[in-house]
Amino acid sequence: METRKTTCPFCLNGCTSAVVFDGYQYRMEYPSEAEVNRGRLCPRGNSASIVIDHPKRLAYPLLDGRAISWDEAANLVRGWRAAVRPEQVALVYSRGRGEDEVRRLFGLAREIGTKHVVCGHIEPENALGCRLEGTKDATLADVEFAKAMLLVGDVFNTSPVAVWRMLDARYADRKNRLVVIDSVRTRQSGFAHSFIQVRPGTEPLAMVALAALLDKNIKADLDKLATAAGVARGQLEAAAAMLAPAVPGFVGVAAHFGRVFHPLLHSLAGQLVAKAAGKPFVGFRETSLPPGGEDFTALRAALKAGEVRLLFWTGGMYPDSYAEVFPEAARAEYRVATSIFVPDPPVPGLVLPVTAELERAATASTYWGPASREPLAPPLSGSRDFGRVVELLGTAAEADLPARVEHKPAAVVEMAHKAAGLKRGGEGVLLLGEKKAIGLRGFYEPEDRLALNPTDAGSLGVDGDSFVRVTSPVGARDFGVLVSGQIPAGTATVGTNVHENRALFPLAVDEVSGMTTVAPVNVKIEKLASRVQAPSEHAPDRRGARYMLH
Amino acid sequence: MAKRLVLRMDYCIGCRSCEAACQSRFKHEARVRYAEVTPDAYFPLSCRHCAEPLCMAACPFEVIRKDPDTGIVSRSSFHCVGCRSCVLACPFGVMDTYLLRSTSQKCNLCSDRAGGPRCAASCPTGALQYVEESELKEVKTGVGIAARSVHWRRP
Ligand code: SF4
Ligand code: SF4
Ligand code: SF4
Repeated sequence: METRKTTCPFCLNGCTSAVVFDGYQYRMEYPSEAEVNRGRLCPRGNSASIVIDHPKRLAYPLLDGRAISWDEAANLVRGWRAAVRPEQVALVYSRGRGEDEVRRLFGLAREIGTKHVVCGHIEPENALGCRLEGTKDATLADVEFAKAMLLVGDVFNTSPVAVWRMLDARYADRKNRLVVIDSVRTRQSGFAHSFIQVRPGTEPLAMVALAALLDKNIKADLDKLATAAGVARGQLEAAAAMLAPAVPGFVGVAAHFGRVFHPLLHSLAGQLVAKAAGKPFVGFRETSLPPGGEDFTALRAALKAGEVRLLFWTGGMYPDSYAEVFPEAARAEYRVATSIFVPDPPVPGLVLPVTAELERAATASTYWGPASREPLAPPLSGSRDFGRVVELLGTAAEADLPARVEHKPAAVVEMAHKAAGLKRGGEGVLLLGEKKAIGLRGFYEPEDRLALNPTDAGSLGVDGDSFVRVTSPVGARDFGVLVSGQIPAGTATVGTNVHENRALFPLAVDEVSGMTTVAPVNVKIEKLASRVQAPSEHAPDRRGARYMLH
Repeated sequence: MAKRLVLRMDYCIGCRSCEAACQSRFKHEARVRYAEVTPDAYFPLSCRHCAEPLCMAACPFEVIRKDPDTGIVSRSSFHCVGCRSCVLACPFGVMDTYLLRSTSQKCNLCSDRAGGPRCAASCPTGALQYVEESELKEVKTGVGIAARSVHWRRP
């Protein structure tokens, strides 16, 4: 039996994962000699073997949900390309595309003569790749020997395997300190010496306030920021004392789907507080995409205006998970997407089967430096390598990516003040996304429970046995109820791995940066007379469900 | 020498990787599962491989046996008829029927894997460990998996 190892592609922790093929099926293996993870894997990492031989893998091109041959598909793409003017073509790259592949797309855009080459990974976490002047990246040793740590958002569920070094560091000395800033009382907050619970989405305001307390050169209106975040100034001062620049440690920030209003500010505020505390920074996220390209917001406007007629989307979310949340896509007459799974329900346009990340060699970027990725399995027959798919549109060589912008500290404070001045409110309960490392697209959990604060549950007249219908501006879903003190009053949370839950969140434009993002949303919750959804006991065949990754 | 599965509660972050590792091998039979004491406190729950297993005593077909050398209590999938006697007998509620195959599921500490149970190998924080019984004392903060009256988190 052959064991093949690779670097797990499901987040940037860079764990070594492995599969054994016994001639019949793929099984996970846990090679204990790997430096980063010593064989440990989170639930997402554990689903690699399921992805490889999944029965719903796409093995032939689909046109409007109907299987066609590669020759027919190639002719269609060439015909569509010839039917539109160069500037009417838009190329979108998203999760799953490597840096070399994105460079290839930039080359293609230049060859075609279109300015629309856009990053389509609009999850707030993508902003964690933006840089503040002077930010230092954390190393594994910074985590291992940390004496003071600041974690923002649910890092424990973003990269669970990165956590053991943090817990070891936390327990290594009674004087070591862990500070957590979050709007939800997650399990991670239970490990904190100081848990700063902020109003949903106001994490960056608390971070900028903390930065101003740590570094007197940062001039910020402390009281305004603390009030907007809903935290006492004293608590911030105590946290600032724990994170004093003389104490070694790091600052780690995560940003979740449906939990962040201002993704760019969230990322830069984390880097600002790291800089003020003299500590390195790490942005915990599932993917890192090269920056550059026109903003997604502008692409949506161009689609709405009918300026884009051929949309080529490659990488995560579309067509599967974004079909509803990204309705503008339907405005393009000709749509070509790549996917590794059969989209369900079928989507209009052409869907081309590509090789999965687990089936190709690449250089992966991880928090702790570059790592090599080897194929765990041969490419699925019928799927094509990304390079060959691009050839359908043009023969361009790779082009340089636009340079990264370095943001200035003063701009961060200004953005924070602007955000603190915004009025929020609206009818109903604020629905927040909850990050859970449960495996791709709900592999190990259907995420069919809505978590509610006991007070809200009381006023709705529901308990743990009730069923409710959640209606957002863009969708509705029925849920069981989980009553939990972890959830702040006036809010509710749902897991955001499954498509049904993601489709409750509309795309929003951040008032501070103009970026398109997926922010918390006000929803209506009604009690249902009886259980409407089919019970999901004894794990029905969820492997036949639809998946989040492309 | 017998080995034991030990959970260090102060390292468990509730990520359910133990359950995922088990499910990924045994295809939907999560033999280690996630228990919920209160909505805010959960931990993995698996077979204790009792010294005098009640499941074994209850099985009318005698398909559950305890290995005298390793202490592992295992069940033959081939002979189990799915009568649920063991499920009712287990005082820790760790057995359940896997209705698709009409047999009960039973943790066998991954006897098919040389490196030991997958749940312990996979645990991201090292909370779940597979150690020699003699080393048990040395697992400083160790709290062996033991709790009653837990109710299942819905799968
Ligand atoms: S922590 Fe990240 S890299 Fe490690 S197994 Fe989980 S998803 Fe993969
Ligand atoms: S894998 Fe480890 S940390 Fe995660 S729930 Fe299981 S015992 Fe706890
Ligand atoms: S199944 Fe229950 S009774 Fe049987 S050995 Fe395991 S813990 Fe004991």
